[in-house]
Amino acid sequence: MQTKSAQAALAEEDFLRARFYGLLATLLASAPPVELLARLGGLKEDATPLGAALGQLAAAARAADPQTVGDEFDALFIGVTGGELVPYGSWYLTGFLHEKPLALLRDDLARLGVERSPGVAESEDHAASLFETMQGLITGLFDQALPLAEQKAFFATHIQCWAPRFFSDLEKAPSARFYGAVGTVGRVFLDIEAQAFAMLD
Amino acid sequence: MTDTPAPDNSATPALGRRAFLRSVGLTAGAATVVGTSREAESKARTLSQTGEGYHETEHVRRAYEAAAF
Repeated sequence: MQTKSAQAALAEEDFLRARFYGLLATLLASAPPVELLARLGGLKEDATPLGAALGQLAAAARAADPQTVGDEFDALFIGVTGGELVPYGSWYLTGFLHEKPLALLRDDLARLGVERSPGVAESEDHAASLFETMQGLITGLFDQALPLAEQKAFFATHIQCWAPRFFSDLEKAPSARFYGAVGTVGRVFLDIEAQAFAMLD
Repeated sequence: MTDTPAPDNSATPALGRRAFLRSVGLTAGAATVVGTSREAESKARTLSQTGEGYHETEHVRRAYEAAAF
């Protein structure tokens, strides 16, 4: 099977990159269930900036419960009249939803053979969808693993230009408790990605 | 920018990148538990492949299972 063979050849660091993207996608798509909170609570801190951010996330997870994190997620991203943050690339880049950045993203996704799943309301430039896309492009889930140069181009065009600001905003959002720590992990991880991709030049 | 370690550009780009990623905590023991549950992952799934269209099919489930996501 093509997907399986692509994953078998995946370098360890790329496998772990994919896992981080998957984790961020999961946490930004919906509030974490109790089982995931428990696993996050077991993360160990280390001396690296990413390890320190994971330590903060672990502490936040241990202090949280599914109900309060669910309420926090709603306040941040949904809300009665909109959440505190709008986690869409088009919004961050133009101030409006469904603008040119989304059209460009849809062109690239079509070229890569990826489309929005039936019944999904969020547009493809939602942060969760973009991180899920990166996860799939790294692992070859959608077809086959994308070469690093093409991963870099997708990252630069659709993520790097706005997602670091989004995570920075998430860290500072008034309702953010658990999700403040998610923002820190996301910001540090994307900074690592940017530095690592820059080394390909 | 955060205070992540400066990249090591002494080797080829690919090897330098690999060394850099290994130095910044990606491969720390903590990262092995970053993988999320399949239940949570499937709730988060928003995308699928065009063409033959295996939306949430056994193929996708097996691929994620193989990757231990």
